[in-house]
Amino acid sequence: MSQAGYHPVLDPALAPPFPKAALPVLRNPQLRKNVAHAIDVIQAKRARLVTEKSDWQELRAAGAAIRDHALANLGAYLEQFEERCTAAGGTVHWAADAAEARQIILDILRRENASEVIKIKTMTSAEIQLNPFLEASGVKAYETDLAEIILQLGHEEPSHIVVPALHVNRSQVREIFAHSMGINDLSDEPKVLTAAARNYLRQKFLTVPTAISGANFLVAETGSVSVVESEGNGRMCLTLPRTMITLAGIEKVIPRFTDLEVMLQVLARSATGERMNPYTSVWSGVTPGDGPERFHVVLLDNGRSSILAKKTERQTLRCIRCAACMNGCPVYRQTGGHAYGSVYPGPIGAILTPQLMQMHHAQSLPYASSLCGACYEVCPVKINIPEVLLELRSQVVNQERRQVKKFFDPMYLGLRAANVAFSSASLFHAVQFFGRIGLKMFTGSDGWIHRLPSLGGKWTQTRDLRGLPKQTFHSWWEMRQRATRQKEAG
Amino acid sequence: MRASLFITCYNDTLYPETGRAVVRLLERLGVELDFHPKQTCCGQMHANTGFRGEAFCQAKRFVRMYQDTDVIIIPSSSCVAMIRDQYPGLFEELGNEELRRQFVALLPRVYELSEFLTDKLQVEDVGAYFPHRVTYHASCHGLRGIHLGDRPFRLMSKVRGMEQVSLANLDRCCGFGGTFSVKNGEVSSAMLAVKLQDVMATRAEFCTALDNSCLMHLGGAMHRQYAGMKTIHLAQILASTEAEPAETMS
Amino acid sequence: MSTPSNSRNTILERVRNATRTAELSSDRVAAYEALPRAYIRKGRLNAAERVALMIERLREYDADVIETGPEGLAGAIATQLKASGRRTFVAPEGLPAEWMAGGFEWKIDHGLSASEIEQCEGVVTGASCGVADSGTIVLHHSARDGRRVATLLPDWHLCILNASQVVETLPEYFAGCSIAPTLATYISGPSATADIEMTRIKGVHGPRFLNVIVVRDLAQN
Repeated sequence: MSQAGYHPVLDPALAPPFPKAALPVLRNPQLRKNVAHAIDVIQAKRARLVTEKSDWQELRAAGAAIRDHALANLGAYLEQFEERCTAAGGTVHWAADAAEARQIILDILRRENASEVIKIKTMTSAEIQLNPFLEASGVKAYETDLAEIILQLGHEEPSHIVVPALHVNRSQVREIFAHSMGINDLSDEPKVLTAAARNYLRQKFLTVPTAISGANFLVAETGSVSVVESEGNGRMCLTLPRTMITLAGIEKVIPRFTDLEVMLQVLARSATGERMNPYTSVWSGVTPGDGPERFHVVLLDNGRSSILAKKTERQTLRCIRCAACMNGCPVYRQTGGHAYGSVYPGPIGAILTPQLMQMHHAQSLPYASSLCGACYEVCPVKINIPEVLLELRSQVVNQERRQVKKFFDPMYLGLRAANVAFSSASLFHAVQFFGRIGLKMFTGSDGWIHRLPSLGGKWTQTRDLRGLPKQTFHSWWEMRQRATRQKEAG
Repeated sequence: MRASLFITCYNDTLYPETGRAVVRLLERLGVELDFHPKQTCCGQMHANTGFRGEAFCQAKRFVRMYQDTDVIIIPSSSCVAMIRDQYPGLFEELGNEELRRQFVALLPRVYELSEFLTDKLQVEDVGAYFPHRVTYHASCHGLRGIHLGDRPFRLMSKVRGMEQVSLANLDRCCGFGGTFSVKNGEVSSAMLAVKLQDVMATRAEFCTALDNSCLMHLGGAMHRQYAGMKTIHLAQILASTEAEPAETMS
Repeated sequence: MSTPSNSRNTILERVRNATRTAELSSDRVAAYEALPRAYIRKGRLNAAERVALMIERLREYDADVIETGPEGLAGAIATQLKASGRRTFVAPEGLPAEWMAGGFEWKIDHGLSASEIEQCEGVVTGASCGVADSGTIVLHHSARDGRRVATLLPDWHLCILNASQVVETLPEYFAGCSIAPTLATYISGPSATADIEMTRIKGVHGPRFLNVIVVRDLAQN
């Protein structure tokens, strides 16, 4: 149930820039309230458990180190994963980009004569826009995660990577379910709504023979896949069907089975504020008599190898998709996820999305941050998101400053002028002097500026600015020095 | 004790009274202060907006200017964070080994004001008198950037006559974020509105902080809204005495 | 479009160029072994405390937990089954005969279909491990743990956990896996969702009722 006239577009190539995309959300108190409520709940739970975990910082350090090591040796670990997974009865495919991944998956489904597929929530499949592609190719994809059902039936887009429908409240869910499930007197009690979803899905689980999942982790040593979930729809999808397809970014690899002891501890606490999520499944290839007969893994690059090559940016790939960063983000709190125009929103989205787009799109995202550092503080694998944001900002500026239209952009003009001014004290002082005179025309009789033109107008939209004092600090100091010298002389 | 004051570009231009308070406070505590007349800016605004080349220029200038200075005091945690967090990367990228070494030697000599007082001078009671109800806003650079911890609170607890009220959601960003405040003006204002709710709920007369950047943002909104609260840099509170009360300019 | 093996080579080449690591696996192993692991590996609780913590965590999830000595196990199972009000139960292939209490209908899983299992009202299994810190029951889907579908479709699950199988920390569980299992399910509470307004609703898919019998099989000191 999208807002009237506002259809979120989560294609970073098409999405409006963040400042513009945020506007309708900022004017929607209900939405802001839904978002704040959801993240407050998770944050409170997370905080309690982190306080309880006396070795939390050591776990973070180990998590970061394990992920960094896996990334630094990614080629070897990917090959090992492929070898072990194949030996265990799985088939490993490699997709250089989104289009190839979609085609590989469709080809598998066609070989299975599948007209339907059940899906476990995976942001990676949203990244490659899989569902619309399958639909257009005659395969209906059924989401089975409650949040994803809400979004699918309501024709909505995800706004969070762990709780994708957090922007939807219970009466909106009721309306979506009543309309699409054809249930007349459905209450808006979450319990009732959840039961409706359970019934809706039961038959699908028992009859649809093909399933698609993502992966939380790929274990190189054993060729295993691990999926972490709460509802049980994951277990349904990876146990009951005949054919299972797992789509996973190449960065999901961890070296050994025992590394899960770190990753699972930090993931559950960060993502949902639990010591351990209800169900975690680990499986290697095919086990005759237990689960699918055919198992495929589609390894996806789609820009990840480019990120891997960059020194500061590589840490982006440590991400284990816990969403702690967006839960702690004061910007996300006000704007929700859709404003980022990507299936990866929030702080991680601000660095991952433009990079996956090879910096051709989503250039406004690295600026969608006040650099407060709350994300870095909570990241279980210690991604220094502010550091990456700053690096990406300089790349955006280097891109833009070559463009003629940006030459006269007030921000560019202003900052270049400021740099010249800062290069010499006399220039700086001159700018201060003339600046104060120039601003006098905007300064009211109360000594404050209430309205400024151009970029300054963004400040004065909601804030006054005190008029520049007559005497700068350095002038006062000089004056004091002169007075002291005169006193000493005289 | 001798020290050199780096006032910061925006304090010099917009908040000279903070600088005057720092001078009064430190001289009262027996510090012999000097002021390098050619100082301008640390480069933070440029670095944070992505103008790295320009930030290099200012960083180089800063390091060259202060290479022989024993102690540098800066009444702005964001500028100190710039120097500690971003200068290392800048100088490494620059590739000038001599400059990088000068910077590394300089780094331990840079102090944020409250750090200088508690760590270097080892004082908490600076003899201040400020008979007002005050709430403290923890700027993100001070909180997470340079980890000021309880230093400001230890200093504030010794200010006579002052009633300190804690701020709810202390660790939540006020939304200033430098150029973020204009590049994402509306989001910044939304964050400001939420922060202001918590600040106003303290019913304090003053909101203080160790960064005039946040205070410019909070205070600018307070003024616009006729809110009945003002902002004041902590240096001005600490400098305030019965004989010379803080310059609380309106 | 590149053929499958082309993409494999393309991706691996990109990755190799991006990382430029030495291909010596000995270096990689050494680097792996040098990774910092200062987190808690081994717990501090004694056996009795561990079991008590496990039970406490299980009860936090609203699991129904009782304790018994080995001699009382069969009786305890019968009691739990009776109290459930259910009649038909799935039994994994390797479930001990003495656990299959009389007066109930047992469907032994020699390869039951999903719909056959769906007809059953409950399932009784053993477990491979219990992690007290998080109240996690570990199934390796052995003959006694049961196939994965068996603990998924029925609405009621009774799990028999020996005290000797309980460890305190998750790293202890992993340390105890001399060979990594091919299949594993870690259960930490009944299925739940908080997708609607963050209101936690239990029992979406997967058993809504978890019962555990902890068998005091450790020698008394």
